[in-house]
Amino acid sequence: MSDILASPAPKPTVVDILRSRRQNRYAKGAFFGLLLIMVMWSVKVTVIEDTDWERIGSVAKVIEAANRFIGIDFSLFPSLLGPTIETLMIACLGTLLGVILCIPAAWFGALNITPYKPVTYPLSRLMMTLSRSIHEIVWALFFVAAVGLGPLAGVLALAVRSIGFIAKMSAEAIEDIDPGPVDAIRAAGGNDFQVVIYGVLPQVLPQVLSVIIFEWEINIRRSAILGMVGAGGLGLVFFRQMNTFNFHGVTSVIIAILLLIMLGEVFSYFIRKTVI
Amino acid sequence: MNRAMTPQPGTPQRQWRRFKYPGSLISYGIWLSILVFFAYTVEYLEIPLDRLLGMFERMGSTLANRYYPPDIEYIMDADYLEYVLETIQMAYLGALFGLLASVPLGWFGSFNMSPSRRYVYPAARLITMGCRAVHEMIWAILFVTIIGFGMLPGVLALMFFCTGFAGKLFAEEIEAIDMGPVDAMRASGANLFQIMLFGVFPQVRVAFTGIAIYTWDVSFRAATVVGFFGAGGMGWYLKRNILQIETERVAAILLSIIFLVLISEAISAWARARVMKMK
Amino acid sequence: MVVLEVRDLRARYSASGPEILKGISFRVEADDFFAIIGPSGAGKSTLIRCINRLVEPSGGEILFFDREVTTLRGRQLRLLRRDIGMIFQEFNLIDRMSVMDNVLSGRLGYTGNLRTLFRAFPRDDIQHALSLLDRVGLLEFVDKRADELSGGQRQRVGIARALMQTPKLLLLDEPTSALDPKISREVMALIKQMATELEVPCLCNIHDVQLAMEFCNKIIGLQDGNKMFDGPTGEMDQAKLNEIYAMEVL
Repeated sequence: MSDILASPAPKPTVVDILRSRRQNRYAKGAFFGLLLIMVMWSVKVTVIEDTDWERIGSVAKVIEAANRFIGIDFSLFPSLLGPTIETLMIACLGTLLGVILCIPAAWFGALNITPYKPVTYPLSRLMMTLSRSIHEIVWALFFVAAVGLGPLAGVLALAVRSIGFIAKMSAEAIEDIDPGPVDAIRAAGGNDFQVVIYGVLPQVLPQVLSVIIFEWEINIRRSAILGMVGAGGLGLVFFRQMNTFNFHGVTSVIIAILLLIMLGEVFSYFIRKTVI
Repeated sequence: MNRAMTPQPGTPQRQWRRFKYPGSLISYGIWLSILVFFAYTVEYLEIPLDRLLGMFERMGSTLANRYYPPDIEYIMDADYLEYVLETIQMAYLGALFGLLASVPLGWFGSFNMSPSRRYVYPAARLITMGCRAVHEMIWAILFVTIIGFGMLPGVLALMFFCTGFAGKLFAEEIEAIDMGPVDAMRASGANLFQIMLFGVFPQVRVAFTGIAIYTWDVSFRAATVVGFFGAGGMGWYLKRNILQIETERVAAILLSIIFLVLISEAISAWARARVMKMK
Repeated sequence: MVVLEVRDLRARYSASGPEILKGISFRVEADDFFAIIGPSGAGKSTLIRCINRLVEPSGGEILFFDREVTTLRGRQLRLLRRDIGMIFQEFNLIDRMSVMDNVLSGRLGYTGNLRTLFRAFPRDDIQHALSLLDRVGLLEFVDKRADELSGGQRQRVGIARALMQTPKLLLLDEPTSALDPKISREVMALIKQMATELEVPCLCNIHDVQLAMEFCNKIIGLQDGNKMFDGPTGEMDQAKLNEIYAMEVL
């Protein structure tokens, strides 16, 4: 309404536009300049001052050190089969346990089906955040202290670590469902449990399965290194090879890990195609 | 009883069973084999199911006795706080350099905008996958072995890890753009660099910012622990105290790690919400 | 004089797929406002996009000012493209950028990489952009984001952008299909006016036959990749239209 009374806006001229564009550029430049200074200061304080440059020596010495890893210790491979299977199994079992633990976590964490919103919802959100925020190595250290060395600690660590992601994604999927089927089951006289099984689960199953497979692949990656803190699998072999300075052996273990991860990706690709 | 409920004469009787052959047999077979697999897993890994419950009891008592109360004074010490500051700096330098490297990698690794689909695309994808597949701790250990202890290997390890992490996400983002503006840029005679600047980046800018924040998150989480293997930061304190079995101090350090990561997560959740609103 | 000559143009989307264009030949002269009409799937869009090589022809020749363009690559191809402006059905503006930046982006073929990075277009370009925006009636929208504009306004930005290239030929790929009928007429009138003023020939792929007959001086009718009609608008009648659109299922 007021536009009728207001005077027409002055037409922009080339000078105006050039000036505003230049000012824009200066402002952006100043911002990035400041950022650059901050980064350079950080680099100076952390990397440059803290590093023992004398011990590193020259670039040539660094390359020489890196070269020590180039080469494969083939004799190690037969003995890697066991730990590789162990790593894979720890990942599988850990993911399974995580999924089981996620059932209550996702149920509590979805606003539409959580049983007692003021308590259960924040509780589950806290669980999810805690699970995600603590690095798997820290979890592994914790469980090794609690249940001792060995694969069990690894399984528990992975299970707890996975809750964060799987439960969060599942809860989001549950919150996004179409309320129609839920209403229908309730109208037909179903109780809460039946509503979940018939109304909620079929809708979220594809997404949840996809998330589980995704997390399983990541767990293979994690499981491989948990052994370094005593939780079984290839990590332990890695640790030993490092300690005995058998660098070619270290490369062999890394290759075994990469092969295992590749296997995981191939497997997950096929599972996704057939099931989802 | 009305007519609708009585079967009409002449209609064939159809039978429906829940158990279908061979379909149901196959799917039950698959479920059974999965169950068997997991049972075998438990067996192979020698997991003592019977002692499991007892273990949790013992875990509870260990926590209560040995890990409580946490030695808060220890972590308030100036030296430790310096290490905390170091950890933060390592995390953001690693994330920053990783992101800088993953922008071109994401571009080259995107099927629609890669300069060469035959050579550059697979190469970029391979590099990204390689960086991603190697766990950040392995990167840390490798760099510590090559360069020695300190923050440099930590920053490098985080950088490589973040490159893999963000590179894949960036590539996926670029592959999801609307190609219309890209066509328009091509039609006006712009080169690939100009097309990226005008046609692609304005579209992905918001998503990229979200990915950058997410990358910082994972980088910080990893940075708190790389010190365990000698790559600088709070993790070193963790290792030392574990070796010396100073359990109360370990508890305190773990609490500080959890606390800091939670703060970092809160900040990045806030930042991401702000970015989403910018859309 | 002949601006564009197309000889026996053929196109297919994949080596084993069907041939979309089955040998099209025609000529565009300097004062033409040429229309390509035909049912959906006849190959109109493909034909337009072959001219500036957004789609690769599989056979035939295209001569732009007597220069064979089907074999150009790299820098030569870019130089060709900057001489040919294109206006799109879906406008294809850069949504998050301002109207001014969108119009200036038409000039990218003439701008170096460093200038592009800092968006530091030369003064003359800005002057040109302002006068084009004034001509299409969008001067007050200079700093607005492109996605804040209506459909008709966006297409006018598209027109300004295409004309920023100071093109020697304008390609229009169903420029009004996404606009309502009244706005469509306005936009077509604007394009025709500006093309006549700036003496730029136009080749227009158009779905609405009425608009084609009203604004264009020559028409090509395509059906299933073949040319069914090629002549001045005056020669087009209902019988020929029925022939062209015979196979279209409404």
